[in-house]
Amino acid sequence: MTTNPFEALGLPARPDLDDEQVRAAWRAIAAATHPDRSDGGDLARYTAASAAYAELRSGWGRSEAWADLVERAERSCEPDTSPLPAIPGEVPLPPVPPWRPLMDLGRLPARIGRGRPLRLLVRAAVAALLSMAVLALIPGTPAAPADVGGLILWFVLTGRRDLAPPPER
Amino acid sequence: MSVWSWLKLTLCLWLLHKAVKAMGWLLLAALAAAVWPVTVVAAAGYAAAWLRGWPPVRLYRAAAWALPVTMAWLAAAALRVPGWPAALAPGRPWPGGRDHLAAPGLARMFLLTAPAAVPAGLAVAGIIWAWRIYAIGAGLSGIVASAPITFDARQWKRQVRTAKGITEAPGAVPLRARGGKIPVGGTIRAIGHRWHPVFTLPATACARHMVVVGATGSGKTNLMIRLWAGWFAATLAAARAGRGNWPLLIVLDGKGGRDARVKAGRTRRLLYGAGARQVAIWPDEARLSLWDLPAADLAVLLYQMIESGTGAAAYYADILQAVLTLAVGAPGGAPLSTAAFLDRLDARWLQAAWDPARYPAEAARARSAARHLPDIQLRYATLLARLGPALDGPGSLAEADAWYFILEGTREPSVAETQAMAITELAAHAATSLHGEPRAMLLAADDYSAVSGRVPVSSLYERGRSLGIGVQVSAQSWQGLGRDEDERYRIAATADGGIFVLRTPHPEPLSQLAGRRRVLETAHRLVGSSWGDEGTTRIRHAWTADPDLIRRLDVGQACYIHRGAATFFQVARPKPSPLTLLPPPAPEPVVQVPVPRQEAAPAAWPAAPRLDDIFGPGAAR
Repeated sequence: MTTNPFEALGLPARPDLDDEQVRAAWRAIAAATHPDRSDGGDLARYTAASAAYAELRSGWGRSEAWADLVERAERSCEPDTSPLPAIPGEVPLPPVPPWRPLMDLGRLPARIGRGRPLRLLVRAAVAALLSMAVLALIPGTPAAPADVGGLILWFVLTGRRDLAPPPER
Repeated sequence: MSVWSWLKLTLCLWLLHKAVKAMGWLLLAALAAAVWPVTVVAAAGYAAAWLRGWPPVRLYRAAAWALPVTMAWLAAAALRVPGWPAALAPGRPWPGGRDHLAAPGLARMFLLTAPAAVPAGLAVAGIIWAWRIYAIGAGLSGIVASAPITFDARQWKRQVRTAKGITEAPGAVPLRARGGKIPVGGTIRAIGHRWHPVFTLPATACARHMVVVGATGSGKTNLMIRLWAGWFAATLAAARAGRGNWPLLIVLDGKGGRDARVKAGRTRRLLYGAGARQVAIWPDEARLSLWDLPAADLAVLLYQMIESGTGAAAYYADILQAVLTLAVGAPGGAPLSTAAFLDRLDARWLQAAWDPARYPAEAARARSAARHLPDIQLRYATLLARLGPALDGPGSLAEADAWYFILEGTREPSVAETQAMAITELAAHAATSLHGEPRAMLLAADDYSAVSGRVPVSSLYERGRSLGIGVQVSAQSWQGLGRDEDERYRIAATADGGIFVLRTPHPEPLSQLAGRRRVLETAHRLVGSSWGDEGTTRIRHAWTADPDLIRRLDVGQACYIHRGAATFFQVARPKPSPLTLLPPPAPEPVVQVPVPRQEAAPAAWPAAPRLDDIFGPGAAR
């Protein structure tokens, strides 16, 4: 049985479907597969469609189901977060090492990869091109390093949002 | 004076007035052209603020962030030309730049002056934008009378679009921010609160009392799950840094059903991502033992679980209470399971337990109550059977980092109400217990009105306050918060952690708690169909949290009311960091599944001879 309720009703997986679309899809499947039909219908499909309809009949249900699908798709390439066994008693936690900032830097490639790398690339390209223009137009002036510094500051401040959050945050 | 000369005078005065105005604008235009790099930045900043619905403070902060660059520039200039002349650096490229009106020359001049022009331009843009907002809001500006309404509606749309953009950025709204703060979503509009692009709450706000009100489908679940996960992550980080106790989150889902299971699953995934080690879902996957309560508390709880009525039924209630005190407080300790408790509701057991030689008063009471015991046993057997095995142990709240309790408040309200009462009692015991590790607790009651028949929200609040537990209560409407207006106001007015209002049809009572703010209202005299040059301005009071705006909120939009101010924001769907690294699983299973405790047979020990009886007091020594 499919775990995608949209698929069970033969609908595209979108959160903006309206009530009538969902109801029409369910009615069509129910009419074709109902067990009371002379040919016996298809009980498994009818049950799956009914369950899917119960889930998708409200706007909130559809947005939740859609969000769950998105999350599932994202989770398929994420580390395992299955429940750990209970740890009885207090577990001594290791102290925060002084080289933690270096560890954070080491995670930067993963944070870029799990964030929005394309947007970061565009930002970086804009900052780089403008910096090159600055160096070409006003080389050797006091304003040149200041302008380049300003562009780097802009890139750092605006690019942070495109990184995935660090672990446990 | 003839008519012609009066006309000439009037015309001259009008022309003079217009000439002065035109001169002012020309001077302003000349100034803008003279400092064109600042003008360019100011125009760009103003356009960005207009298009993205930013408040002026956003431009001021951008200007402040640009100041270090200006400082660096001045420092570099000072290195080249030591002394005061460095201060003239901003003006130096200007004279030369005016001679090069071609594109490369202009670009060069802009770049040479950018370190000063950018902060100055952004600050100017902020001032102009603030004036524009003031003038439109006060009715001083705008072509038509409806200008303030259309301006506000347009800006709201832009602010929502910007907030949604922020919530979609992967790193903008994590579960936990620096400084123990909980990011909740992108700010749409702040009225009275400080504006930040991402709306955050201090974790300590969750440790107090909070109210969440929103209709079904308004995004309440996402908001609550985000607050739970954020509180858990922030409290856990503080505990790891040695600044607090390990967190214990208790969620009571009062509605139950399939949706509750889906929500519990989501919450669990998120809490694992936030660093939780064990998240228990009750009653599907975990159990609790009601019998862990101290004997006195257990007797009171068992008494309260049964509806005893008033009037003539008070007689029966007194007997019930006396029997429970005898059964639960018998020598040898409280019962350890339902079966053991029901065994005690037996005349022979009680008379054997309360030895007439040592406890004559209790033994006499047990004899008196003997004829009522079968009825009492029957009632409790029925009640405890309806409650199910999930409160019969084994298990305690301390065994998990978070508990999600699913109470079938829609299907079986009376059972769910009794379960809610038992669970809140266990939570209170966990908060006050001196034996275990102290925990920072948050008790979140989602749709609590469905199960509040036995423990009203107000008493939940009061207990939470006295025990130092943060309590978060959600309801679908103002009416769902309490049984009467008095209780509702008591709950809402004591929510010192703040009130979240999502789309709801009757937000007025909650809006009243945010109060009103003073605004200016300007009335213009109309000449024909256009504005005249006369009018009046007066101060009036407007809602801080506009109820009409709250009624129109879209899914996922919420208003946070706290200390007479309001912030509208777009809730970000909570997601754990994809980089969350869990500790490696233990090589061998370390879980020791507790074995259900067995109580000693009651008939054996009360009859056993005691050393004191044989040898006399103190003979053992």
